[in-house]
Amino acid sequence: MRRILIVDDAATVRMYHRGILESAGYLVEEAWNGIEALEKALEAPFDLYIVDINMPKLDGYGFLRELRQQQIAQQPAVMVSTEAAAGDERMAYQSGANSYLVKPVVQSQLLSHVRLLLGEANQ
Amino acid sequence: MSLVKHKVVQLAVPDKPQPERSCSEPASSLKNADAAGRRQAAREIAQFPDAAVTLVSHLKCERNAAVREVILTTLVRLNDRSAVSGLADCLRSEDAALRNEVIGTFKRLGDEVVPVLRSLLADPDPDVRIFVVNILDSELHPEVESWLIDVIERDTHVNVCATAVDLLCEVGTEAAIDPLVRLKARFQFEPYIQFAADLALKRIREV
Repeated sequence: MRRILIVDDAATVRMYHRGILESAGYLVEEAWNGIEALEKALEAPFDLYIVDINMPKLDGYGFLRELRQQQIAQQPAVMVSTEAAAGDERMAYQSGANSYLVKPVVQSQLLSHVRLLLGEANQ
Repeated sequence: MSLVKHKVVQLAVPDKPQPERSCSEPASSLKNADAAGRRQAAREIAQFPDAAVTLVSHLKCERNAAVREVILTTLVRLNDRSAVSGLADCLRSEDAALRNEVIGTFKRLGDEVVPVLRSLLADPDPDVRIFVVNILDSELHPEVESWLIDVIERDTHVNVCATAVDLLCEVGTEAAIDPLVRLKARFQFEPYIQFAADLALKRIREV
C-alpha cells in the first residue's frame, strides 16, 4: 500500500485530506510542521508528500529543500497553499515540488494529482 | 560609631552641545557587517528613536535566520506602533519564512497588536487576512471568537473563511453555531467548508 505524508499545521486540513486519501486506499500519516515531517521522512521515506506552505518552525519550501538534499528522499511532492500568487507557485517548484494546488482542494483534483505523480493515472 | 554622611556635591555641567543621536552607524553595520556584526547592530539600534523603521526595512532583505531572530526580538522589545505596523507590512512579503517568523512574533506581542490585527482583518489582500486569522488565538484577546464569527459571516474569500473555521474548531462556543450553519449555506458547493464547519459544529455541541 502506498504511503503518503500530509504536512500541514491545520488539523482540520489534515483530517480532510486524510479522509480523501484513505478512502482511495492510501496509507496516510500526518506531520504538523516541516521539522516533524523531515524527521518522519528521514526515518522511513514516503511514496508521496502533500505539503502546505505556511507552517511554523519550518515552512513547506524549507521542508522540500531539505528533503531534496537527502539522496534517499526524491519522492514526489504536491504543494498545497491558500495563496494563488504566481511567485508562490514558482517558489514551490524551485523548492522541489512536483505539482501545486490552491486550497480549498477538491477530492477529484487531489486524487488526480496524487495518481499522476505515483504513476497510477491509468489504473 | 555613627555614620558620617557626606554631602553629595552636585557638579555643574557646562552647557555643551551634545551630538545628535542617530542610528546611522548601527544602520550601516546592519547592511555591511558580517552576521555577528549585524546581530550586534540590531541590538544596538533599539536605543534610537527611529529604530523600528530601520529594523523592519532591513528585516525584509536579511537572509540570515539568526540575524532575523535578533531583529524580531528587538522589535518585540520595542513593541511600539512603528514596530507593529512594520511587522504587519511584512505579512505581504513573498518570503514564506519571513511571514511565518512575523506570525510567530505577532503572537509574542501584547495589546499593542490588537487594533492593528483588527484592522488587517479588513485588508483587501485575502492572504493577509488569512495570516491574521492564523495569528489569532483565544489568549490574544477575549473577543477573538466574535472576530472569527464576523469573518465567517462577512468575508467573501473561501480560504479566509476556511482558516477562521479551523480556529473555531478550537475556540468556538454556542455563539458560533448559527454563523457556521449560515456559512455552510453560503459555500454550499465547497466541500472543505462543509467538512470543516461540520467538524466545528460537532465539537461545539460536544462541549
